[in-house]
Amino acid sequence: MTQLPSSQLNSPGTSLKCHTGTSRPFSIETLLLAILCLPISLSCHAVELFDTVQIHGFASQSMFISSGNNMFGPSISNPNFDFTELGINGSWLALPNLRLSMQILSRRDGGTNNATPVIDFGLLDYNIDLNSDYRLGIRAGRVRQPYGLYNDTRDVAFTRPSILLPQSIYYEGTRDFTISADGLLVYAEIQKPWGNLNLELFGGYARTDNKDTQYSFLFQNSYGTLNSDPSFVGRLSYESYNKSLRLALSGVYTSMSYKKNPTYDTMPSGNISYDAIVLSGQYNTEDWTFTSEYSYDFFTHSDSGYPYDFKLTGESYYFQAAYRFAPKWELMARYDAYYPNTNDENGLAFQASGQGPAYSQFAKYWVTGLRYDITPWMMVRAEYNYVNGTALLPPQGFLNPQTGNPDYSSTVQYWSMFGFLVSFRF
Amino acid sequence: MSVSIEQKSSKPPRYCNGRLMAACCFCIVLLFSNTPTLAEEVVVAIKRGTPNTKPVSRYVLSAIFGMRLTTWPDGSAIRVFVLPDDNLVHATFCKQVLQIFPHQLRNAWDRLVYSGTGQAPEVLSSELEIRTHIASTPGAIGYLTKENLDDSVAILPVE
Repeated sequence: MTQLPSSQLNSPGTSLKCHTGTSRPFSIETLLLAILCLPISLSCHAVELFDTVQIHGFASQSMFISSGNNMFGPSISNPNFDFTELGINGSWLALPNLRLSMQILSRRDGGTNNATPVIDFGLLDYNIDLNSDYRLGIRAGRVRQPYGLYNDTRDVAFTRPSILLPQSIYYEGTRDFTISADGLLVYAEIQKPWGNLNLELFGGYARTDNKDTQYSFLFQNSYGTLNSDPSFVGRLSYESYNKSLRLALSGVYTSMSYKKNPTYDTMPSGNISYDAIVLSGQYNTEDWTFTSEYSYDFFTHSDSGYPYDFKLTGESYYFQAAYRFAPKWELMARYDAYYPNTNDENGLAFQASGQGPAYSQFAKYWVTGLRYDITPWMMVRAEYNYVNGTALLPPQGFLNPQTGNPDYSSTVQYWSMFGFLVSFRF
Repeated sequence: MSVSIEQKSSKPPRYCNGRLMAACCFCIVLLFSNTPTLAEEVVVAIKRGTPNTKPVSRYVLSAIFGMRLTTWPDGSAIRVFVLPDDNLVHATFCKQVLQIFPHQLRNAWDRLVYSGTGQAPEVLSSELEIRTHIASTPGAIGYLTKENLDDSVAILPVE
């Protein structure tokens, strides 16, 4: 049986999902300047230039009310409006095959993300169309991690199947770590009558300077620094000609090192690795979309000494169906499950060892939701989650005891959550 | 004599809430119907004199309107013009010519735009605007119903 660190005693759940980190603070002035400069600095090409610049954005506000456990702030029997997502992006097609793009994101989640604008992605994309069938390209800068079906646009409510993405594969606690990273991505694409095949390979450094990510990997409040070592993410995806079938195989290989704070820290220095393989599939008809993803992950702590070192294999998957039963309406149902330790899926061994309740070692979500697109740029959505287990409660609450679930004693096994969202985009 | 102990389950009823809700919603759906299309033919229009454009395969056209193929064979930029998602001509073009559902195309554009990996096509409000833009923009491509075609644009045949 896998030995879990005793430091987990205070943390509800050994939940760890996916890969990347924090958001570097970025001043709003710089953002505005960047956006304004894009068209203005090149106004000598006036019309040409404006034709090649696009600005898009989105804004979403969610409300959660839950029983048992808090989500994104104090939500138990209390409407909680602490989840807000705002984003604006610009892209400039400088040459037919050279593009620059940047997105600034501001996010509140009732915990450590307090709406400070950060660079979500900022990249230079150069590609060559070898002919109409083959394309090669490279992206450099802060780029989206090629991971699963929804990671590419996970903050845009319009592109999600529900208010919250399936937490098993897209855990909120490691959102920043997973979404984008700094480095180089090369891609190759084949377009044929049988469909589109796309290979993306990323190498670089994950964003780990973020409280949620640190908590998710270390299971406790830490005072040292978590640095990313060179990490790799890749995805091979297939899309049928008419986009009805989408398949993807993603692989994640990340390693990090933790340096303890020499003056005050309970967590010893050590190395952490998180590797995962994700299988994704989606089938679309005019009215239906069926989606499923499966992830098997390897999570290791080493060089920290007993009892901090461990090796875990985790498993996550979900099945989801969406039905567009009328123009502008969509109904969704999903089952979502996560087991951080495949050797102890019911958590009984964890509980027997005195580290915490069994239910912190799994999470099973039954979700149903309804979406209504009032206009192409305005959407509302309601959804209900029935949950067994706490392995996927995001750490935001634990990091902020006033608003969250500060320890195991404040969590419950069976809980439910109702959510409402309104979203705009342009 | 045996003493029977009534055992109360400590677990709440597990999935009934979700199931009941789903069942109700699935019944409601039978009351609605889905998106119509035009009977009229929609053709692909390009700017007159666009270089090296032979009849185009459906999958290449799908790559162009999916905003993945962004240059013509001579390396010049392709400029894509479309009508809004809920426009009947757009829906007809997607289904009949591209054989893709409009919401699928929108998803593909969203993935490009909000991940920094591409741009969306330019959305115009009428066929007249589409025709004017195609006629005046180098590298332009769009679609028109046959009745709105004229000599200011060229037809791109689809294989």
